[in-house]
Amino acid sequence: MELICPAGTLAALRAAVDAGADSVYVGFRDETNARNFPGLNFSRDELREGLAYAHAHGRNVFVAINTYARAGSPEAWHRAIDDAATLGADAVILADLGMLDYAARRHPDLRLHLSVQASASNPEAIALYKEAFGIRRVVLPRVLTIPDIARLNAEIDVETEVFVFGGMCPMAEGRCSLSSYATGHSPNGQGVCSPASHVRYEQRGDDLVSRLGEFTINVFEDGEPAGYPTLCKGRFVANDRASYLFEEPTSLNAISLLPELKAAGVHALKIEGRQRGRAYISAVVRACRQAVDAFEAGKPVPAAALSEITEGQRDTAGAYKKTWR
Amino acid sequence: MSAKITLGPVLFNWPGEVWRDFYFRMADEAPIDTYYVGEIVCSKRAPFLAEHLPAVIERLSAAGREVVLASPTLVTTERERQSVRELAASEGLMLEANDMGCLGLLAGRPHAVGPMVNVYNEATLAWMAGRGAVRITLPGELNRQAIAALAKAAKEHGVELEIQVFGRLPLAISARCYHARAHGLHKDGCQFICGQDADGMRVDTLDGESFLAVNGTQTLSYTYNALIGELADLEGMGITRFRLSPHSFDMLAVARLYRDLADGRRSAAEVAPVLAAMVGDPGLSNGFYQGREGVASVPTL
Amino acid sequence: MDDAERQGRIFETMFARLALTAARPLPPALLQPALDLIVATLRRNHPHAFARLEELDDAEVLIDPVDLPLAFRLRLGPAGVRLRLCRRDGEAAGAVIRGEFPVLLDLLEGRTDGDALFFSRDLVIEGDTAVVVALRNAVDGEDIDLAADLAAALGPFARLLAPARQAATRLHDDLAELHGLLLSPATRRLEGVERRLARLEKKSH
Repeated sequence: MELICPAGTLAALRAAVDAGADSVYVGFRDETNARNFPGLNFSRDELREGLAYAHAHGRNVFVAINTYARAGSPEAWHRAIDDAATLGADAVILADLGMLDYAARRHPDLRLHLSVQASASNPEAIALYKEAFGIRRVVLPRVLTIPDIARLNAEIDVETEVFVFGGMCPMAEGRCSLSSYATGHSPNGQGVCSPASHVRYEQRGDDLVSRLGEFTINVFEDGEPAGYPTLCKGRFVANDRASYLFEEPTSLNAISLLPELKAAGVHALKIEGRQRGRAYISAVVRACRQAVDAFEAGKPVPAAALSEITEGQRDTAGAYKKTWR
Repeated sequence: MSAKITLGPVLFNWPGEVWRDFYFRMADEAPIDTYYVGEIVCSKRAPFLAEHLPAVIERLSAAGREVVLASPTLVTTERERQSVRELAASEGLMLEANDMGCLGLLAGRPHAVGPMVNVYNEATLAWMAGRGAVRITLPGELNRQAIAALAKAAKEHGVELEIQVFGRLPLAISARCYHARAHGLHKDGCQFICGQDADGMRVDTLDGESFLAVNGTQTLSYTYNALIGELADLEGMGITRFRLSPHSFDMLAVARLYRDLADGRRSAAEVAPVLAAMVGDPGLSNGFYQGREGVASVPTL
Repeated sequence: MDDAERQGRIFETMFARLALTAARPLPPALLQPALDLIVATLRRNHPHAFARLEELDDAEVLIDPVDLPLAFRLRLGPAGVRLRLCRRDGEAAGAVIRGEFPVLLDLLEGRTDGDALFFSRDLVIEGDTAVVVALRNAVDGEDIDLAADLAAALGPFARLLAPARQAATRLHDDLAELHGLLLSPATRRLEGVERRLARLEKKSH
């Protein structure tokens, strides 16, 4: 199985390659990608350098252009696709139908992957993208169980890529406006969820309060592990009870499910976290590399000791297990 | 061309008879041109409506209204796929696709595209038009500028655009049921607890501020999206289809208010306070249209 | 983290503490040339990171090493990056990054994950979160090694660093023995370093 690793900077890309990534995915430093964080991502020159480094080591680089192009001004998205193709990216990861159409027409030789942001969750949807644009791979939304994935793989003829580690949306990706409801900035439009520009941490006595826009997202007691102030990982009151209503501040860790994922026909394993530091990238990629190598050599899959770097310092197998629902 | 007032599908888990009677009453009295019907949020609820669906379609059609069947938002299981395939194979009524799988099955025949499908730009609209889309209801988070650009493209491609102008805005869909979760239940044994909240379950912040509304696997705005003063602006762009999303209070009155507003019998200044009084505490919002956070309420009068 | 790196961290922390304790009574202007030298050296070695920091809107970040006697103010934006010493309770800054000095140094050098530090509450963020994220991303995108960068800048004096590091590590070990017997402020401050080291050792095994 192919191991796909994130990089938000050149240093992280090198760290991912050095730690054993088969492919690295990156984005340009603008709103054309879904991790449009301040100070993160690649200039054209940096992508050229990153491609050279990865290709020298026999690895691939995919460019995520996975936000939805703005009506009236799609130029930045067109330029991103054109430049990725010209610079020699091994694939572009797209979500927007209009941009898939553009890429398929303008760059017929460019390999197209369907982003998780397209949320293609059934064989009919995937068949549509395949037939219309010739996508070669689909990154599956994190709403499917392993039996769902197995059934799906039996019916489609494109490669599937699934997330094995990192931050996890409890909502169907690319179909969520929670962030823009609170801040005006959305993953689909601006490539940001719960953007730092709208986040405030406030000390209230011994408590740490995280706020997003005008809303309190969480209150942490002294010493309690904290999480991102991502809206869906906040604590809210519903039915007279305060709880992590949508999802605990937790990270996906499906490394132990490698045998089941392989049996379900999964082609590639993806690590989330282009916004994370290169120390994270190194540690996670190395652990996943060891797990995949062990599995493919017929040895037991080692448990990855990664709890320190996961959100809330705990993890979950997420939607892969039906009990999550 | 005079504006059309339309009614989106009921998003909430209303008892089957309540659901049926709601449409019966609206069919006879409401100034509504098009009804979108069907269970689009949770496949577990679908059987309750299926029982009454033929009677509702018949009644609405007999009253001279257009009926469009709306497809489910999130389709993952074998059973859900089967229901979409059956829907797509049905003849007679127009279908509205709310997921890409359904859209794929409708290629080559006239169909509508629902607000749960991501149409953010002209290229997407053109691609859909080329495959048979004749009507598109735009996603709720688009701002005025995007809507204006899309309206221009829609005219070129002969596609009708529709905009939700009233009701809680769907913000997210999940495989997980938050209604069940809030009641300590699991989706498989949910006891249809979502039926307790006819307009969604209120979600407050830890500071006691009301924020969102949960409807099973769907999360909506707590505020009621309401474009009132914006209607004339939309008509100026050539958009003449205005969608109301059903709630448990007097939708007949809401429909009449919007009909009057569209016909110029009442002004936005008259309509706004009446709607605000009807929705009460949650209040009205129009932030998305105004290019702000969705929760914002920007004066337009 | 290997032994040499561990020694380096202890040395740097002790050195910084000694330097800042000595500096506390001095007028800040006297120390500014040293800080300017550090920034100029980093700029020379890491132009990409500085280009990113200068692309940002004007902002000031208070960098507050809680185990040191003084804090730093870092100015970002088109007017250029500037580092100044300050009192931690001085004039308010747009954003604050607070943590133990070894933690902050690890963060600067990309040896640790800022998000993880935040989850574990080893790092405290206040104010304009976007500036903090931008700063983190800019430095994380570079292979910064402060000691190596500065050693190169110091030229012949760099040779003095290795024996000094060893001496500092010995001193630290001696102090560690005293730990538990004496609850002096000095040992209390060292606890932070030790906790950090213990965790790093655990990680590297």
